[in-house]
Amino acid sequence: MELSEYVQKGFQMLADPGSFDSNAFTLLLRAAFQSLLDAQADEAVLDHPDLKHIDPVVLKHCHAAAATYILEAGKQRADKSTLSTSLEDCKFDRERIELFCTEYQNNKNSLEILLGSIGRSLPHITDVSWRLEYQIKTNQLHKMYRPAYLVTLNVENTDSRSHPEISFSCNMEQLQDLVGKLKDASKSLERATQL
Amino acid sequence: MLLDLSEEHKEHLAFLPQVDSAVVAEFGRIAVEFLRRGSNPKIYEGAARKLSVSSDTVQHGVEGLIYLLTESSKLMISELDFQDSVFVLGFSEELNKLLLQLYLDNRKEIRTILSELAPDLPSYHSLEWRLDVQLASRSLRQQIKPSVTIKLHLNQNGDHNTQVLQTDPATLLHLVQQLEQALEEMKTNHCRRVVRNIK
Repeated sequence: MELSEYVQKGFQMLADPGSFDSNAFTLLLRAAFQSLLDAQADEAVLDHPDLKHIDPVVLKHCHAAAATYILEAGKQRADKSTLSTSLEDCKFDRERIELFCTEYQNNKNSLEILLGSIGRSLPHITDVSWRLEYQIKTNQLHKMYRPAYLVTLNVENTDSRSHPEISFSCNMEQLQDLVGKLKDASKSLERATQL
Repeated sequence: MLLDLSEEHKEHLAFLPQVDSAVVAEFGRIAVEFLRRGSNPKIYEGAARKLSVSSDTVQHGVEGLIYLLTESSKLMISELDFQDSVFVLGFSEELNKLLLQLYLDNRKEIRTILSELAPDLPSYHSLEWRLDVQLASRSLRQQIKPSVTIKLHLNQNGDHNTQVLQTDPATLLHLVQQLEQALEEMKTNHCRRVVRNIK
């Protein structure tokens, strides 16, 4: 794993037992994970009595370095040996490497979910609602007497801010066609997963 | 149910007995064509010249026919009711028969055209799908993320509209289940009773 100078400098301080004792090290590490994974987290993550004695500038640098490193490790799906090697290069002692790997393992799933959700994609269908009506007449046409469906697809855009809806009407044959095609897709999916 | 023909309408139709049945048949053809594609005033002028009448007269005659056909089709009146409604115009037996035939021959198509005038929502046309697996992105490598990409074709007011959407396998199964329930609903006793009794 390639580390920038900023991260390396931060880790140098983090590795030094004189600047961070074991307890402070673990707290800072947890704060870094929390900042990344907890949606409600803010600057207060570093407000712990056991971190008060450390220079705030140093604290922020190490926190940012750790967070950057964690993201890079997550992106590349680093395994334990990759992590160990790169942390060794940063002069972390055995104990700290173990602590880091344990914390990383605990948070790995959430981290990967977070990283996987970043990015552009097509509008995503999240749900469907439907309405069945029996059409009797309009002002232009009387004695219609036919069923019709109104289908609404709930769609989410990647920016999560817009939730447009796609609504359309269809008769029975059209809905059967739609359902038939979706069933083909899901059967295809089943077959593909069995390969 | 009888058609209610206004005095003005009856006046316009009064032109029809004055020309022979071939011309009326031609007017009928023009009337349906205008319903399909919109009116074309030049046709009135051509016909007016050939028949030595004013183009207004021809226009009224054709429009009268159009209104007669659309009202009858809209209300879906029976043969008998149509004949009785036309009877009040005092036309010949032959002309009445011609008008009835014109109605019966074109009723279905006219009703289809009228149904397009209803408040319109986009309607389903067709759907294409594709299975994809996402392998990596800028923020995460080594992924196996299956997804279904869907191209939904919709029609609205004659315009063709396409939407490209995506969904995951779990949601796809959910969509199928929900929409199958929707289809099943028509077969329930409740719906059958409604369909039987509202006529």
